[in-house]
Amino acid sequence: MIKPYLAVIADSFHSALASRILWIAFVAIWIFLAALAPIGYHEDYTTTFRWFDLDNGTQMKAMLARGLVDPKESETALGRIARTFPDDIRRKLRQVARGEDVRIDKGALADSLNESLDDESWYDQQAWQTTVRLRELRELDEIPEDQLTTPQRRRRARLRIEAALPGVFTAMSARSITLSYAGFDFPAFFLIGKEQFVSLINQFVVPIMMDWLLGFALIFLGILVTASIVPDMLQPGSLHLLLSKPISRTMLLLSKFIGGCAFVFLCVTQLVVGLWLIAGFRLDIWNARMLWCIPVAVFLFAVFFSVSLLAGLRWRSPILSIGVTCMFGAFVLVIGFIGGYFDTLVRGPDRIAQMSFDDQDVVVTTRGGQLKRFDSASNQWDELIEGDFRRRDLIVPPVRIADGKIATARIRGGRFNLYGSGSLDLLVLDGSRQWKPNPGLRLPNGTRRLIVVDDRLLALNNAGLMATKIDEAISESGIGQSDPPPSSGESSGEVSDSGTGAEAVPSPESIGVTAWITDLIRMQGGATEAFHSILPRGVTLTDPVRVEAVSGADSLIVYSRGRLMRLELSAEADDSAVGAPVTGGASHEPTATLAADVLMDDNSAARTTMAVSGSAVLLARADEPMRWIDAATLETLLEFPSPQDQTVVAAEGVGQADRFAVLTTDGLVRIATRSGDDLVWTMLPQREVTAIEFDAPSGRLAIAHHIDSIDFVTLGSDATPQTTVDRTIRPSLTSWRSVDRYLITPLRTLTPQTGELSQTVAALVSGKTSFAIGGSSEEDQEVVQLKILRPVVSCSLFLAVMLTVSSVYFARRDF
Amino acid sequence: MSQPIVDVHQLRKTYRSLSLTGRRRIDAVRGVSLQAYPGEVFGLLGPNGAGKTTLIKMLLGVVKPSGGDATLLGQPIGSSAARSRVGYLPESLRVDRHHSARSALRYYGRMSGMSSAEINAQSDALLKLVGLEGRDRESVRRFSKGMYQRLGLAQALLHDPDLLVLDEPTDGLDPVGRNEVRKVIDRLRDSGKTIFLNSHILQEVEMVCTRVAILAKGEIKAIGPIDELAHRDEQKLIVEVPGEGHGDRAPDWQAIFAPGEAAEMDVTEVRKTFRLTIAVSGQDQINGVVDRLRGAGQSISRLEVRRESLEETFMRLVETDSVASASAEIESERPSAVVGDGGQA
Repeated sequence: MIKPYLAVIADSFHSALASRILWIAFVAIWIFLAALAPIGYHEDYTTTFRWFDLDNGTQMKAMLARGLVDPKESETALGRIARTFPDDIRRKLRQVARGEDVRIDKGALADSLNESLDDESWYDQQAWQTTVRLRELRELDEIPEDQLTTPQRRRRARLRIEAALPGVFTAMSARSITLSYAGFDFPAFFLIGKEQFVSLINQFVVPIMMDWLLGFALIFLGILVTASIVPDMLQPGSLHLLLSKPISRTMLLLSKFIGGCAFVFLCVTQLVVGLWLIAGFRLDIWNARMLWCIPVAVFLFAVFFSVSLLAGLRWRSPILSIGVTCMFGAFVLVIGFIGGYFDTLVRGPDRIAQMSFDDQDVVVTTRGGQLKRFDSASNQWDELIEGDFRRRDLIVPPVRIADGKIATARIRGGRFNLYGSGSLDLLVLDGSRQWKPNPGLRLPNGTRRLIVVDDRLLALNNAGLMATKIDEAISESGIGQSDPPPSSGESSGEVSDSGTGAEAVPSPESIGVTAWITDLIRMQGGATEAFHSILPRGVTLTDPVRVEAVSGADSLIVYSRGRLMRLELSAEADDSAVGAPVTGGASHEPTATLAADVLMDDNSAARTTMAVSGSAVLLARADEPMRWIDAATLETLLEFPSPQDQTVVAAEGVGQADRFAVLTTDGLVRIATRSGDDLVWTMLPQREVTAIEFDAPSGRLAIAHHIDSIDFVTLGSDATPQTTVDRTIRPSLTSWRSVDRYLITPLRTLTPQTGELSQTVAALVSGKTSFAIGGSSEEDQEVVQLKILRPVVSCSLFLAVMLTVSSVYFARRDF
Repeated sequence: MSQPIVDVHQLRKTYRSLSLTGRRRIDAVRGVSLQAYPGEVFGLLGPNGAGKTTLIKMLLGVVKPSGGDATLLGQPIGSSAARSRVGYLPESLRVDRHHSARSALRYYGRMSGMSSAEINAQSDALLKLVGLEGRDRESVRRFSKGMYQRLGLAQALLHDPDLLVLDEPTDGLDPVGRNEVRKVIDRLRDSGKTIFLNSHILQEVEMVCTRVAILAKGEIKAIGPIDELAHRDEQKLIVEVPGEGHGDRAPDWQAIFAPGEAAEMDVTEVRKTFRLTIAVSGQDQINGVVDRLRGAGQSISRLEVRRESLEETFMRLVETDSVASASAEIESERPSAVVGDGGQA
């Protein structure tokens, strides 16, 4: 018979409704919603430049300076834009050209560009023909002048400026949102499109609201109101009568518990439904998933209320119940904070990001900006380059360039500034010298990735793709010589810091304008003495950029913001370039030819992952199906969804067998094999995978998992391959990692993870299980998997234990 | 005799607690056996701490017995079947403040498994019966203790139980209210309900109960009809003799009476008057005592023949230190007319 228990639940509802605090909460909610209701938005073309749009100040200064002083640029788009700046900025730019250390305020540059938006006298159709124009610009260019609206005209002007200064600006959405309140625009506007705005609301605003408004304020209020339910019930005149009725004690207690949740349910429902309606009517975000906040908030309250329930049973005092519950909340919060700190400072920095191999030697970079080598003797990771505390530096993923030689680089401050600070040297790790980093060749500024193609080493940055001979790179690092040549920085990978990144340039009197320009090209990330640009004319790389070498052929597959290309490297041009003095990035002949070129449709700014295996290319762009592409023709052969609709974190070609290993946000690796028009996925057993790398010489796939362990797996040749783990790396725990594993992790396991429920909400509301944070380049990005089930399971277990203990106590005790 | 409604055999309850000073053990109920039969108003009497409330809690399943067994209406105590046929009025009923009398009845009726229709059908009559008619939609916040008791009585009767357990039903009521509750109990008894009444108001018990059990220190001291418990065949003759004319010495009272005539005699002197309390067994003995006194030249200012009251029975059975304090409490609760006008020194 459930009637009596329904009566108890209904009675608790009535009791909650009779509470004055509830009505105070209601009024507070109504005032809050009424205050929020006048919010609105409108969507405009992204036109105005902001200082933070200027992604790479160093590069911009160098480009503009070159535009001013290089006679060849006088009639190009760059030169024309450079001349639009006011006199004082032009004067400073000339100083930059002379190699002086000049600071130019980004705000002043942006203001000057904004003035150019309305006066397009700088525009020349001929000059802009040679720039790389995005599809949007091409479409706007085709619209007759008299049919353009003012915002469209300003947008076109902005795109023209962006085309003239490639690589300088942060990739922005074409349209951006401006929030308004009661018809008045907010002074700050979001330079994001509607789609990103919706993502922002779903993934950040709603979870933050859940944390503070629902998770903190309402739950505390709820505990205040409901703490007296059990002590009131235990009053002799009330309890004895209830217990004399033909009902079960356990059910009576559970009914009281459910009824107690009525308070939070009533408040949360009003608040969430109100917010949902405001988001729908005022922001056009009709996301019914937002209503998931209601059950999750009630569930969160239930966890705390279960503590209050047991305390109330034990001590029969509302004050003590509130006190104990608050102490429990504080304990959970502290454990959550400590756990978060351990994640950030202990576990996170140790996570393997990239790997490189030389026979049995393993060199990795970590999320903490360290470069490490595995020492089998001590069974630990040895630091080759230490990570800095603030995690500003960026380590270029190491690549094996020859037997016993691994190349990398360290970009100081690279996480905040694309070009870092100071010059950038190639570091060659030499196996015969305990893998100590040896500074060698000067790398193009902002090099994000090194690629080995045959006997050439390619450096990729946002300005382009540059190549040098591997032999030269090794010899320049002083390896094999008794006395290594003096480097531009200290040893052990230390590089000099010269403020703006501009090298000391001889006086203009001693060298001519040509020398200035060479340095400016270098400063803006162009070719250096050793590295010469290999991109053919008309090919500019715009983020997101992916470059993969095709094994066994001197060709590269390049993806650049919606454009997929195959470049053939020509040997003779390469020879002519090596050792020859470089006079300018654009002046020498390209050493690669464009063999295939495909433009893809929209979504070009989406995060992209690419891998090449044999004659196949795997391309995964966020929020759209994955593509299986023919490496020769770049024709899309197959489109298929990512496994379990997970976001692809990384993909690796597995040898020449037209097979790929795909790492997704759930931390699992699957092998994709094509079988006719179908795709076969084979899941590998490793969990919590952080990185994958195929080691071509050994034919093994290395899978980094559980922070810093690695499995080397050999795959069978079948469509659903058998896997054999040939080698494992299980490093010994460091002291803090031991504390984490044996103290913090058990504590976190036993404590309900209430704080993480906001991640559950983020996933439920947004419908996505992960999101990428960091820069647009794949190497910088970290894809964060939202913890969806873990907090729910943890809180459910805690709730079950507390309710069981309370029920047993209530059922067995004499009152 | 019919099957007992309440059948208790050697029921025991021991509370154990652990404190800094060590283990504590309190034997609240020590092997109690009693029976209450259909249609009976059974009174449970005892001083504070005698174990009355513990016994009732065990009968209702609120407290688990440490030993012995008992049944209510043929069902084991604590079972749902037993509890569903019992109406209970706790000593100090507490109703949540958001209720009115009517909504409280609805709530407790649902708890007893009644449908809304059944509750509605019963509520009006019961509210009228307990005198809450017209105030049934008022918040209980404004209720006096007496109104709470009436509401408690109404809820106890709501599901038409076969057994009513009333714990101090007239506690906190004014004389008019007590009288009304007594009338309700009389009516219920007349309608054949079995009532188990726990009270420390002896007059009330004496007036409504057909049988009583006296409980002290967790044990039944006596059980049976009130007339049987009191030694009603034993009378006491109280004679007051003025003290003037006796000088400084009191008369030799034993010398006045024939041997054995006043074997049990108690003499007290109050304000120059001697009060002789003599156990007598019949009218002849009374006449003899009067004749002897008059023959000895004593004048009689007052003469009274008394039988033993329930209170005296209670006091006689519960002769302990704790009873002394309990009797003071009873004294303060008791209407002035309960004991004869002579009083006790």
